[in-house]
Amino acid sequence: MTTSNILSQLGSAGVSTGFKNRIINGAMVIDQRNSGASVTQDTSGTQYCLDRWTIYGNVAGKFTAQQNAGSVTPPVGFTNYLGITSTSAYSIGSGDAFQLVQRIEGFNYADLNWGTANAKTVTLSFQVYSSLTGTFGGSFVNGANNYSYPFTYSIPVANTWTAISVTVAGPTSGTWVGATNGVGVGVYFGLGVGSSGSGTAGSWQSALYRSATGATSVVGTNGATFYITGVQLEVGTTATNFDYRSIGTELALCQRYFQVAGRGYGYARDSSSILINYQCIVTMRAIPSLALTTASPYIENVPWASIATTSGCTVDNGHMSVYGGDVKVSGSISGISANQFIEWGSAQLLISSEL
Amino acid sequence: MNLTYKLVNGADGKPISVKRSDGWAIPFDPDNTDYQQYLAWLAEGNTPEAADGTN
Repeated sequence: MTTSNILSQLGSAGVSTGFKNRIINGAMVIDQRNSGASVTQDTSGTQYCLDRWTIYGNVAGKFTAQQNAGSVTPPVGFTNYLGITSTSAYSIGSGDAFQLVQRIEGFNYADLNWGTANAKTVTLSFQVYSSLTGTFGGSFVNGANNYSYPFTYSIPVANTWTAISVTVAGPTSGTWVGATNGVGVGVYFGLGVGSSGSGTAGSWQSALYRSATGATSVVGTNGATFYITGVQLEVGTTATNFDYRSIGTELALCQRYFQVAGRGYGYARDSSSILINYQCIVTMRAIPSLALTTASPYIENVPWASIATTSGCTVDNGHMSVYGGDVKVSGSISGISANQFIEWGSAQLLISSEL
Repeated sequence: MNLTYKLVNGADGKPISVKRSDGWAIPFDPDNTDYQQYLAWLAEGNTPEAADGTN
């Protein structure tokens, strides 16, 4: 094969050249937090639906997000999608914002050289399906939330998967983190953004615009749907075939930001607290936050002599690193005495270092 | 959802982490997004609940 043949193949359908797609979980396959259950949007700014995808609205309860919501047939080549459903007919005010976002880590985009004269052009592609038609909007936003590129796209036919491609010349100005573990760029999909958060599409601007002026508001119609999958952000001016990754690879990429602990061992410090050791499945982006999925976790003494009765348990986080560490759980824990070796149940501890 | 925070002390009686009202335990790591959000909450003039005691 000649060099020109190789270069031709690298740009053709079905050929990937490594981490082509900077979006993680773009095929909406991984849902560690919710396992396909619906999430009602809140105002916390900390809410995730499918892995790596965060939802936000400044007024609570205006939409839900769920893997494969509505159970429509995904577009050809995909098995899953992320489904947004509006739960009311909300008239957005100028300062309102409802959005779906993936923030890309600096390490995963630094080669784009954004903010320099060598900034690379990128192409965002995805498949979208909505009960609404018209012009929709989104934006690229820097980590400092003060520089953005609003874009528009059209959904001409309702309830039909439509392939979208948006090409953006990389910014030569603005504040952009380089190869760090901070936010490189946020890819925003507007679901209803007021005028103060919307900008003119098609240029980089020194402001936080979450969507484009005039874009359709999904939350403005009760029951409106907005389904999306196959999201890909790649270098270049052309949307190429979706970069499928193995399930193991995709999950590991997600686990840099969020993990669910399996069964593990530890010991009872005293009658009201235990200490367990958790080693992260993959090294995390930053020292993680911790939470329990239940206030009554399963704890048994080893070798399987009895099960503790637990309630009101919470987790402390003073001895974790990006690799793992000791986790203290405190609460009402009866049936375990100090210094006993204990086993800890699966899927009770959540570990997060999201962007 | 209005999130609030409570300090957690280490064995030396000094704060080593903070608990958020939704149950998340947040480390004092400047790269942790939850900690950055906590710092922003402090900057708005809010005060965390005092720790219960040593940990």
